[in-house]
Amino acid sequence: MREGIQELLIVIPAYNEAENIERVVNRLITDFPQYDYLVVNDGSSDQTAEICRRNNYNFLDLPVNLGLAGGFQAGLKYAARCGYRYAAQFDGDGQHRPEYLAAMQARMEEGYDIVIGSRFVGQKKPRSMRMLGSNLIESAIRLTTGVRIKDPTSGMRMFNRMMIEEFAGGLNYGPEPDTVSYLIRRRGARVAEVPVVMDERLLGKSYLTPLNAARYMIKMLVSICLIQSFRKRR
Amino acid sequence: MTVTLRIVVIIVSVLTTAMILRKIRNARLQIEDSIFWIGFCAMLILFSLFPGLPDLLSRLAGTYTTANFIYLAVIFLLIVKLFHMTLKLSELETKLKTLVQEMALEDNRRRREEEAQAAMGQPETEGKQGGDAQSARM
Repeated sequence: MREGIQELLIVIPAYNEAENIERVVNRLITDFPQYDYLVVNDGSSDQTAEICRRNNYNFLDLPVNLGLAGGFQAGLKYAARCGYRYAAQFDGDGQHRPEYLAAMQARMEEGYDIVIGSRFVGQKKPRSMRMLGSNLIESAIRLTTGVRIKDPTSGMRMFNRMMIEEFAGGLNYGPEPDTVSYLIRRRGARVAEVPVVMDERLLGKSYLTPLNAARYMIKMLVSICLIQSFRKRR
Repeated sequence: MTVTLRIVVIIVSVLTTAMILRKIRNARLQIEDSIFWIGFCAMLILFSLFPGLPDLLSRLAGTYTTANFIYLAVIFLLIVKLFHMTLKLSELETKLKTLVQEMALEDNRRRREEEAQAAMGQPETEGKQGGDAQSARM
């Protein structure tokens, strides 16, 4: 579809990220021209779309808010149609560092289907409520798939061509740990982790309030332990 | 069942049916969706006109009293209906999601095409197409 296309597409879902998106995308454009990027503006109510248009970014402008799963899927449909070999999920708020993408891609080349940028490969998890959640999800995935993923909630993931097609075509493919567990169990996906460092979010507020976090945890645990085992192989 | 209660039940059933039929007449409801409600109304009227019918069914089903049987039957029917509605809602959301994604992908494709054309600097030959794209986006 497009001339001079790179191997890796960085998909940046952005919902009301007006304060961060410019910094994140400009960094990618100036320092990492070897990657293509795509901003998915998920029906933001702030200036996100205007900023993308003004800067002439490559972006998808969803007219209504679909949520992370729908927005990310739109990005992967784009990746599938343009024929990218790899697609990476990358946060629009600046907590992911693009310098780790090369290491992740190198790991991909070894024949993995999913590579997760992991905060805890080399080091121990700090003790906090959030890490308790992370541990619970880790155990649930280990229990159901036998695979140990140390940082299942990391939002920095890379997918190969086969996984891109899965995400683009299917229903119930949120970019979340439960989908990873499904892909391991039913699609035989091979998962690797690469150590990364993440920054704290600089501007704008996170959706991760304690109530949302609890809701997320329950959804993930029920989904991984119960629902994913009912799903059919496509 | 007392006579007053029977009259009340008959009136309520008929009124409900009339309301639903009016909505169908005014084309507010698709035929497929109205079939369940027509059936439901028919059941209400039938039961209120012939109270012997639910009594008989109750005895057949082995419920303790007729009232229990009616509660059970209606609640069950509504649960099934509710599940079907959830199913439909899910389908609808999926369709909406697909549509929104297609719109955004198409919009992106058109923008890139325009950019490519602008970069190549041949607005005369492609001018009409560009104009179409512009008006289509409005």
